[in-house]
Amino acid sequence: MTTLEGLAHGLSVALQPSILIYSLFGALLGTFVGVLPGIGAMAAITLLLPITYYISSEAALVMLAGVYYGAQYGGSVASILLRLPGTPQSAVTTLDGYPLAQQGRAGVALFTAMISSFAGSLLGIAILVLMAGWLASIATQFGAADYAAMMVMGLVAASTIGSRQPAKSLAMVVVGLILGTVGTDVNSGAPRFTFGQTQLLDGINLVALAMGLFGVAEVIANIRKADRHGPPNRVGLRELIPARDDLRRICAPILRGTTLGGFFGALPGTGSTISSFLSYALERRVSRRPQKFGHGAVEGIAGPESANNSAAITAFVPTLTLGIPGDPIMALMLGALVIHGIQPGPMMLEARPDMFWGLVVSFGIGNLFLLILNLPLIGIWVSMLRIPFRWLYPAIIVFICLGVYSVRGASFDIVMVAAVGAIGYALALAAFSPALLLLGFVLGPLIETNLRRALLVSRGDPMIFLERPIACGFVIATLALILLPLARRIRQGRG
Amino acid sequence: MQRDYHDLLWGGILALFGLGVAGYAAQSYDFGDLRRMGPGFFPVILGLILAVLGIVIAIPAWWRQAQPEPIAWREGVAVLAALLFFGFSMTRLGIAPATFVAVLIASSVAARRGLVWRLMLAVVVTALTWAIFLGALDMPIPLFPWSR
Amino acid sequence: MTRMTTRRSLLAASTLAFGLTALPALAQDWPTAPVHLFVGFPAGSSPDTIARLVAEPLAEALGQPVVVENKPGAGGVIGVQQMLAQKGDGHSIGITINGPLTTAPRLIPELGYDPQADIAPVGLIATSPLVLAVSADFAAQDAAAFVADASARPGEISYGSVGQGSGAHLTAELFAGEAGVELYHIPYKSYAEVTTAILGGEIDAGFMAPSGALPHVEAGTMKMLGITSATPFAQVPDVPVLAGQAGLPDDFRAELWNAMIAPAGTDAAVIERLNGELQTILADPEIQQKLLAIGWQVQPGAPADLADRIAADTEMWGAVIDKTEAQQ
Repeated sequence: MTTLEGLAHGLSVALQPSILIYSLFGALLGTFVGVLPGIGAMAAITLLLPITYYISSEAALVMLAGVYYGAQYGGSVASILLRLPGTPQSAVTTLDGYPLAQQGRAGVALFTAMISSFAGSLLGIAILVLMAGWLASIATQFGAADYAAMMVMGLVAASTIGSRQPAKSLAMVVVGLILGTVGTDVNSGAPRFTFGQTQLLDGINLVALAMGLFGVAEVIANIRKADRHGPPNRVGLRELIPARDDLRRICAPILRGTTLGGFFGALPGTGSTISSFLSYALERRVSRRPQKFGHGAVEGIAGPESANNSAAITAFVPTLTLGIPGDPIMALMLGALVIHGIQPGPMMLEARPDMFWGLVVSFGIGNLFLLILNLPLIGIWVSMLRIPFRWLYPAIIVFICLGVYSVRGASFDIVMVAAVGAIGYALALAAFSPALLLLGFVLGPLIETNLRRALLVSRGDPMIFLERPIACGFVIATLALILLPLARRIRQGRG
Repeated sequence: MQRDYHDLLWGGILALFGLGVAGYAAQSYDFGDLRRMGPGFFPVILGLILAVLGIVIAIPAWWRQAQPEPIAWREGVAVLAALLFFGFSMTRLGIAPATFVAVLIASSVAARRGLVWRLMLAVVVTALTWAIFLGALDMPIPLFPWSR
Repeated sequence: MTRMTTRRSLLAASTLAFGLTALPALAQDWPTAPVHLFVGFPAGSSPDTIARLVAEPLAEALGQPVVVENKPGAGGVIGVQQMLAQKGDGHSIGITINGPLTTAPRLIPELGYDPQADIAPVGLIATSPLVLAVSADFAAQDAAAFVADASARPGEISYGSVGQGSGAHLTAELFAGEAGVELYHIPYKSYAEVTTAILGGEIDAGFMAPSGALPHVEAGTMKMLGITSATPFAQVPDVPVLAGQAGLPDDFRAELWNAMIAPAGTDAAVIERLNGELQTILADPEIQQKLLAIGWQVQPGAPADLADRIAADTEMWGAVIDKTEAQQ
C-alpha cells in the first residue's frame, strides 16, 4: 500500500460517524480533564481506560488519542492561566504564558499555545507519515551511550534558561538531579534516600513535585497579592486575538520546534521533555530580544508547544512500528491495543493497515476538533481569571490533592505536595527557577542509568562515548554549547 | 536596603543540603569506581557539586544589597494545613467532609473576612468535587465515612 | 461556635465510620458491602487487565460491586501493603504477581508484612513463562548451542533484565546456574528497553514474555531459543521447553504468576467461597481465551496449591538471590 492509498484508506476509517464521535468526545473530555491541576494525559487516560474495554479497538484508540492531545492542551491552559503545570513540558509553557496572563494578555497566550499545538501536531503527522520507517530505525540504533550523551546535551543547553545568575540555575538543576536519585537504583537494586518508605521506592511522584513547586507555591504567594490587585480588567475581543506582530513572531519558532519535537519524540524516553526545553533554549538564543523571555514572549510559548505536540505524534512511531512504548502513556495505549487482541509491532502496518492509517488520519481530525472546540473556549477560559482569587484558590488546593492522588492512589503523595510546596514557596522568594529543578529531576535518572549502563556495556571503557558516532556527535555539541559562549566572552573582553 | 538575605540563606541551605546528601550517600551506599559505578557514585558527586554552588551563591550575596520579599506566613500555614488535612482525611472520612473542611481552612486567610461566604464556597466546591471526581471520573474514593 | 459544631460532627462521623468498618463480616452473608480488589500495578498493565477480567464475573457471582483499586509501586508490593492496611473491613482482597509474595522479603528491607504469616492464599489465576530471546543475527540456533557458546566464552554473552532482582534477572541467573555457564547482566527499566537493546545489538539476549518477543520473531528480527515452562506454551507452541536440554535438569521451570490473595485471618469460609467463584470464572473458555491473548495461561487450583507454590518459589528464588548477592 502506498502512502497515498494508505491515507485514503485511513480517511475512510476515520470518517466513520462513530469514530468521529469518539474522537470529538476524547478531545473534549481530554481538554476538560487536562485543565484540572495535576491530571495530565497520563492520569486522564488511566481514568478512562476501563471505558475502552467496551468499545471497538479503533474507537478506543482514537478516543484515547483525543484524550491525550486534549489533556496536553488542557494542561497548557492551566499552566498559562494559573501556573499549574503537571508535566515538565507545561512547566516550560508557564515561563512566558503565565507572565502574559498576568499582563492581561491571557487570550494571546492561549491562542498562541492553541495554534502552535495544532501546527506542531499537523507537521508531526507529516513527519510520521513520511519518515516513520527511518525514525524507527534511528530509535533502535540509539544505545545507552547515545542516550546519556543526548540527555547531558539537553541539560546543558537548557540549564541557562531560568535565572540571570548561572549559579542559581545550575543549583536548581543539581537539586533536581539529586531528587531524581530517590528510589530503587536500577543497577544495584539498592533503595536510595527512601528512609524506610515503600512509597518512595519508585522515586518521588513527578506530578506531586510539579504541583508543589508551581501550584502550591503560587497559591501561597498570590492570596495576598491577588486580592490587592483585584481581578484583571475586562478584556475586549481585540485583546484575545494576537496582533499581526505576534503572529509574525511565532511562525519560525513553530517550524523549529516541530523539527526538534519530531526528531526527539521518536526516541523512546523523554523526547517531549527534552524537545520542549531545547526549543525554549533555542528560541531564546536566536531571538533578537532575549531579555523579553520569561516576561511574556510569545515565541517562548510557540516553540515549546509545537515541539511537544509534534513529539507527542512521533512518540507513536516506536509504539506502532516496533511495539515498543517510549513512555508510560504509550505503554497504556499499547495496553489498550493488546486488550483488543492487536499486537502492535513491525508487522502491524502489513497486518492491520486499517488500524495504522485510520489512527494517523484520526490524529489529524482529533487535532482539528481540538482547534475548533477550543478557539471559542479561549474567551471562557480568560473570563475564569475574573473570578476573585479567594473563591478560586481553595478549590485549586482540593483539586491539586485529587489530581495528585489520581496518579497512583497514594495519600502519601499529597503530604509530599505540601512539603514540596513549602520549599517551592521559599525558593520562589529567592527567584530560583522551579522549571530547571523539574528538568533535572526528569533527566537525572535517565542520565545516570544510561551512563552506568553504557559503561557496563563497554566493560568499563569510557571511550564508548567517543567511538559511537551518535554519542560522539552529542558530546561535540555539548562542548560547543559550553565553549562557544566562553570564547565569545573572552573575545569581547579583549575587544 | 539590606544584604541579600534570601540568597545568603539559600546558598547556605543548599551547601549544607549538598554536604548532607554527599555524606549520607558516602556512608550508606557503595561508591564503586569510574568503571563500575555503585549506587553512591552519583549522589556523592552531585552533593559535592551542590555544596560548591551553594557557596558560590551565598558569598557574593553578603556584599549585595536587596530588599527581602515579605514572607506570607499565615497564608503558607493555612494552605499547607488544608493540604495535609485533605491528604490525611480523604480516604478515612471521605472526600465530602475532607473537601468541606479543607476549603474552610484554606479560605480562613483570604483577605475578605466572614463565615457565610466561606461556608457557601465550601458547599459549592464540595459539590463540584463530587460531580467531577466521583460522578464524571469515577475515582474509587469514598464520599462519606460510611460510603466505602 | 460553628468551629465547635464542625469538630463535634466530624468526631461523630468518624466514630460511626469506625463502628461500621470494625464489624467482622459473617461468612454466610458475605459480602455485605462492595469488595475492593487491590492491584499493585497501574491501569492497563497485565495484572490490572487480569484483575478487571476477573472482577466483572466475580461481582456478578457475589452480588456486590467489585472495585478494582490500582495501588501501583515497588513491583506490586504497595498493592499488597494497601490491601493489608484495610484488614479490618473484611472486604479487601488482592490480585498480585509472584514477586511480592516470594522474593520481596529478600529484596525490600522494610516490607512491613510477612507473606507466610500475613497473607491468606485464595488461588492461582494464571501463569506465564519467559522465553530466551536473542537477535536474529545471533549465531546459536537453539538453547544447546547458546549454552555451548556461553561456556566457551564465560561472562561475555550479555543479557538484559528489567532490574536487579526482577523475574527476568533471576530467571536468567537460574538458567545460567543450572546450565553451568556465566552470563553478563545489564539491567534495564522495562521490557521495552530490553527489546530495543536486543534489536539494536547492545545486548545479546534476554528472558522476556512470549507476547513481547513474538512480533519481532514474526518480523524476522528476533529468535526464541527456548521457554521456561514445563510444557510448550499455547501462545508459542513451536518454541521448545528448556527443561531437559542444554544440560538443564528435567524439572527446570521458572514462571511468573498472578494469584488472588486475602489478608490472613479472613474467615476460611470466605476464602473457600472466593476460590470456588474463581474456579468457575477460570473455567470459562472466553476468559481463558482473553488471558491467553495477553500471554497468560489459566491455572486453576485450591488455596493450598497456591500456598505450596509460594513456598516452593520462595525457596528456589531465595537460592538464586543468595548466588547473585555472593557475586556482587
